[in-house]
Amino acid sequence: MERTRRAAGRGRLIGWALLGAVVVALLTVGIVRDRGAESSQDRADDVARRIACPVCDGESVFESRNNSSEAIRAAIDERVNAGTQSDDQIISYIESRFGGQVLLVPRATGIDAVVWAVPAGALAVALAALVLTFRRWSAQPHLAPTDSDRELVASAMEDP
Amino acid sequence: MSDRRRVAPFVAIVLAVVLAGLFVVLLGADASSDETADTPLLDQPAPAAKGELGDGTSFDLSQRKGSWVVVNFFQSSCVPCKIEHPALVEFVDAESTRADGADFYTVVYDDDRESVEAFFEERGGDWPVVYDDDGSIAVAFGVAKVPETWIIDPDGVVRERIISTVTADFLRRELDRFRLAG
Repeated sequence: MERTRRAAGRGRLIGWALLGAVVVALLTVGIVRDRGAESSQDRADDVARRIACPVCDGESVFESRNNSSEAIRAAIDERVNAGTQSDDQIISYIESRFGGQVLLVPRATGIDAVVWAVPAGALAVALAALVLTFRRWSAQPHLAPTDSDRELVASAMEDP
Repeated sequence: MSDRRRVAPFVAIVLAVVLAGLFVVLLGADASSDETADTPLLDQPAPAAKGELGDGTSFDLSQRKGSWVVVNFFQSSCVPCKIEHPALVEFVDAESTRADGADFYTVVYDDDRESVEAFFEERGGDWPVVYDDDGSIAVAFGVAKVPETWIIDPDGVVRERIISTVTADFLRRELDRFRLAG
């Protein structure tokens, strides 16, 4: 009985370890995979996707055909083609002109950091709650029937 | 005491803290509806702005240092621009009589020259018009909608950004205030 329980526990542990390994492997591949050489246009498009059209709702300057978005795209193209600024520097330039509301990907500093911190905090709290709950469940005693229990049930079954 | 009763105060405290944080964020939000608008460029050197004037000569804002400069972003099809135009004519006429009168420029953004020339011919106004064909001046100033008016001091520093329409009185008052402040 004890051996069977131990084997089941080991099996569960191996299952969790395998699942963890797969998740780590997928995350690693996702982070470090080589996207290949990027053309200037691809780079400019990536930057444009991270900036909101300043006069429309829910569109990036990459998608928007608005005049203002086209002017911003032209400014991005010019800076990408000049090759002297990183993507973040170009985005900072646009932000310095139009304000932080044009950033589609919020910064991880200042009040903007709340949008990153709140989900992470909620996840941590949820995981902690799960761990506590599982631990409490597993701490409950495993009751096994005693001989007197068995006798009681047997006599109950025999009685008409 | 049950587990639920023990946990409840902590949950309430966490919720209260989150709500208080959101309240503080809302309190800090700018809900003003003033005519003047915030800009990261306020009290900063005006951005480089180069373009072509209507007569074909080049325009470079940095060359205007030493004078007060008022820049108005405009499109001939924009209704508020049409409404505002008489006020601009009045303002420019008044400034032209002063020794330290401001230089006034219209920056045309995403418009064709024929329409702009027809607009000025019909409604008056003989100040220089800068054609920002690629929108680079508008982006440099962070202008997305017209009309917008910017006041730049003789040191080339942005002193004010005004969104939507202006009146001649308002512009005069603001410029006088800046001139007095030095």
